[in-house]
Amino acid sequence: MEEFLLRLQESDFGVWVSSAPTIFAYPTILMLHTVGLAMIVGPAWVLDVRLLGYGARLPVEALRGAFRIMWIGFFINASTGIALFISEADDKGLKWIFWVKLLTIAVALVVTTRLRRTVFGSGVASDVATPKARNLAKASLFLWLGAITAGRLMAYIK
Amino acid sequence: MFLSFASWLHKTPISLVFQNQVAWLWPTCETLHFAGLALLLGVAGMFDLRLLGFMKRVPISVVKDFMPWALVGFTLNLMTGMIFVISQPAQYFGNPTWWVKVGFLIVAGANAFIFETAYGRRAAAIPVGEDTPTPLKIIAGVSLISWLGVLVAGRFLPFVGAGIGAGL
Repeated sequence: MEEFLLRLQESDFGVWVSSAPTIFAYPTILMLHTVGLAMIVGPAWVLDVRLLGYGARLPVEALRGAFRIMWIGFFINASTGIALFISEADDKGLKWIFWVKLLTIAVALVVTTRLRRTVFGSGVASDVATPKARNLAKASLFLWLGAITAGRLMAYIK
Repeated sequence: MFLSFASWLHKTPISLVFQNQVAWLWPTCETLHFAGLALLLGVAGMFDLRLLGFMKRVPISVVKDFMPWALVGFTLNLMTGMIFVISQPAQYFGNPTWWVKVGFLIVAGANAFIFETAYGRRAAAIPVGEDTPTPLKIIAGVSLISWLGVLVAGRFLPFVGAGIGAGL
């Protein structure tokens, strides 16, 4: 395992990402990872607080487009995340907090797709969230906060 | 001038308190700073998209109901940001990229002020389904670009123009 991680990190691509003397390598990839974060978590939280009853004048149906922004954000973050991982595979891959982050994101994705099916799956979305939709919204709120927290702690926990 | 202010600030009791707490304070504030940016950009971005002509069936005033959440995100980031600056003033005052970030913040703030004072009432009166006038689209575009600028400059802080590469 560790040998594989080391080979990833020392691959031409891994070395380019981590140490190419240009702003377009590590700094830009890391910046795009933050842009993607905002595109995923921002719309997710707007939808979550709306489903929990805040801003009730807004028809839930109007937020159907949020998923398109979230998927673009997710595509950006999966790609930049893989690049960032390769560049520091031997470090990040051995940290438990990194696997907590991935697990949190995996669960958040399951919750998000279930929330989409529950709220938008059958015709026009209802303006009053069912208890199931509310529970999924609460889970989404905390899971994305958890993913951000775990991601940040990767820079601190050995 | 700013650097002598920075070295004075660095020795103030409040800065020393933050510096001595740094083991847990810094990562906690960073986490809140990222959560705050997602909240701010999520809500402000939705409002900007409405002004650009998306979600036309929803009155602008209804989308504005969510603005308190953007303010929560902004306040969170202003507070945590001030903790960063008070803890390590020279790291920020001495970094041109930080001034670029402050510049984008001023543009975003002035833009929001112009919207509120000059266009707020007009925007609220736009009938549902009607196209938004060009000035509102410009304001929305400036808002999106300037908040994105704040984010990009903020993320580039440790890499561009940084004397001290801390807080990666």
